[in-house]
Amino acid sequence: MTQARTLSRALMGAAAALTLVSGALAAQAPELPAAPQGAPQDSGALRVKVQGTLTDAQKNDPVLDAATSAVAAQLRCPVCQGVAIQDSPSELAQQMRMVVKEQLASGKSPDEVKAYFVSKYGEWILLEPQAHGFNIVIYALPVLLVLGGAVFLVFIVRKWTAAPAAAGSAPSGEND
Amino acid sequence: MTRLLAFNSIVVALAVTTLGAIFGPIAVRKGRRDWLMYLYAAVYTNFALVTLSTLALIYGLVSHDFSISYVAQVGSRATPTFYTIISLWGALEGSIVFWAWVLAMYAAAVVWFNRKREGNLVPYAAVTLLIVALFFHILLVGPANPFLPVFPVPFDGPGPNPLLQNHILMGVHPPLLYLGYVGLTVPFAFAVGAMLSGEVADDGWIKVTRRWTITAWAFLTAAIIAGMWWSYEVLGWGGYWAWDPVENASFIPWLTCTAYLHSVMVQERRGMLKLWNLNLMVGTFVLTILGTFLTRSGIISSVHAFTQGTIGYYFLAFIGIVLVATLFLVAGNSDKLASDGRLDAPLSRETAFLLNNLFFTVFMFTVLIGTLFPLVAEAVRGVKVSVGEPFFNKMTLPMMVALIFLMGVGPALPWKKAAGPELKGKLLPGAVLGVLVAAAALLAGARGVYSVLAFLFAGFALGVNVREFVVGANARVRAHGEMWLVALSRLVSGNRRRYGGYTAHIGVVLVTLGVAASSTFKQEQEATLRPGESITVAGHTLRFKAAWGREEPQRQVIGATMEWMDGDRVRATIEPRMNYYPTQEAPVPTPDVKSTLRGDIYLNLMAFKPDGSNVTVKVIWEPLVPWIWLGGFVLCLGALIGVLPGRKRTSDAPAVRASALAEGQP
Repeated sequence: MTQARTLSRALMGAAAALTLVSGALAAQAPELPAAPQGAPQDSGALRVKVQGTLTDAQKNDPVLDAATSAVAAQLRCPVCQGVAIQDSPSELAQQMRMVVKEQLASGKSPDEVKAYFVSKYGEWILLEPQAHGFNIVIYALPVLLVLGGAVFLVFIVRKWTAAPAAAGSAPSGEND
Repeated sequence: MTRLLAFNSIVVALAVTTLGAIFGPIAVRKGRRDWLMYLYAAVYTNFALVTLSTLALIYGLVSHDFSISYVAQVGSRATPTFYTIISLWGALEGSIVFWAWVLAMYAAAVVWFNRKREGNLVPYAAVTLLIVALFFHILLVGPANPFLPVFPVPFDGPGPNPLLQNHILMGVHPPLLYLGYVGLTVPFAFAVGAMLSGEVADDGWIKVTRRWTITAWAFLTAAIIAGMWWSYEVLGWGGYWAWDPVENASFIPWLTCTAYLHSVMVQERRGMLKLWNLNLMVGTFVLTILGTFLTRSGIISSVHAFTQGTIGYYFLAFIGIVLVATLFLVAGNSDKLASDGRLDAPLSRETAFLLNNLFFTVFMFTVLIGTLFPLVAEAVRGVKVSVGEPFFNKMTLPMMVALIFLMGVGPALPWKKAAGPELKGKLLPGAVLGVLVAAAALLAGARGVYSVLAFLFAGFALGVNVREFVVGANARVRAHGEMWLVALSRLVSGNRRRYGGYTAHIGVVLVTLGVAASSTFKQEQEATLRPGESITVAGHTLRFKAAWGREEPQRQVIGATMEWMDGDRVRATIEPRMNYYPTQEAPVPTPDVKSTLRGDIYLNLMAFKPDGSNVTVKVIWEPLVPWIWLGGFVLCLGALIGVLPGRKRTSDAPAVRASALAEGQP
């Protein structure tokens, strides 16, 4: 035992020595990698145009504000990290909210407003994927899993309760 | 010199872990327990070497040694020392160093505390830990090497990402996250160790790792809550959870780990679910690596995606190796893992745990599918899609509500079989409280189905869990004539695991109430104000006093002084700011929050006139948000109660046990 202890100490010592010696490996290392990319730039292509068509009454209309918020919560801020334009303090998001408000005020339905942004930015702008085509997968899978799991549980509980009651199971102490 | 010391330590650590991982199984196969000392020495040596490397890197950061590539990447002479030190985890390479260090620390500690245990479980667990450590060392000498030489040596560097040096929580959230994430390697290693040593049929690996798992879970919980807090205090949108891929990456293993903490009780009690629990733990570990891969490889864009490079392939290969190896091990142990299911009744705590696991698992899958779907959709359809907050809220709210309901039912259900009248008595206080809370929410204007259900079930779960403490303490008061608080503390220390669990449940209730209230009753308004003008949101009046500017060493600050008025009296001064960092064109919004128990006033500076004649501010009234942070503390308190060593139980008088039995409690 003591011999083993001495040997293990020697191993640690050798490791420490190796650390100081093996400098050559590091010297051949390649150059500094490129700096990581910065935040996405607010480029001109992303811009939207605010028409300035809102009347003063519309600017302070709480019903219109609520409708705008509801749509804005569904649209992704193009220059942020996965945040809705409703929540983003960025300038572009503020402009986009204004566009949403103008279009709603001009009588467009929320779906039409969303369709406008999809035509401009692509499907990516919607924070919630449209439930058709391939996208149905992410709506259907969780539901199927819950249903399948529930059926399985009912089956297994029935099977297990039908078995003769726990003769050999662990004794019940007071520890939960 | 610093660079060579740091790098060479890792190179040697790589050699040591490799040797240990090869030598360990040989020692066990040959039955030479005296050789295990070398295996454990490799674990301790690895810890010493990685510690040395980490300290050297920190020294390099603090001494502004820009000849080290990582320091040149994240360092700057103007950055305050605190943020210089924590920039250790501010970018990819440094965070892998930190990961390797936390892993080495856990491995050394868990091996040290269990080194005398009989059998081959600990040696094989040590080998597994060394193999995982080896993977991170390979990353550090390969694609994530922070110790590359820089020549010519620059005089100064760009400094850390501004977002990461804007708040003190950046010194708290990442270490907690690593302590949680990496800590989950310990139960994984023992699960693998149990399979390798053939000791999987008894619960040894579960008992050895119980405290480690709860500790890691508590760190992960604290990290998630601290991350929410950081997002709330720093990002300026007034929210705390955006279903960002990295948030999901930390949340997904939390879900499976929480499921495990519950289902493992069924195994210890009834000897069932052995295979399931093993898979939950292996799955949890794989999900931590997958989460790191998703967020660190940059294949999903996120606040935390540092860089793009080859590192993703390493992670994918590692995940593949882990999955294949564990599949073989599970298959090889399948005869030992088969356990006969025996249930006495459909209505019992066992079935509550089964349902709990169903919902946690599907919850996990839903978040995982949602997080991965943009990748899948792009591969299948060639179209970029987003999966964000509206999707996750819609799909996960039903499961959250169901889990909160179960959290109320479960503790009331006895093991084996529940009897109707006694169950009614246990559920009644919770049901009454739940209805009261839901009624209050309805009166306050809550109309959403899930919102009202969340309030209802949160009240219900609170009532049921608090009742367990009250009834237990009362029984002790009757039996021993103790003071009520003394009775309560003895009750808890007599069965720490159980009451720690109930304490954690109360923490979840607080978080639920905070989340439900703030998402239901949040009010916000934006206004452009001249000095002296004020704005009122949800009955709170904010007056704009003055705008100001300030030079700081690493940044320029523009701020607005706002006064929260109570009639003519100034209740509090709130100063939202914009911080301008030289490395970034756009300012970093820096909101200011004043908290009360009823809620927060959240102010964000949106725009200002350079002459200070007006500012645009966003005012948000955030009801009950501090309850979320409070709930986080209570959750961790519950975990702490659960891991502290229990009191000797011999002092429990038979009367207490009898009354507990009369309650139908085990």
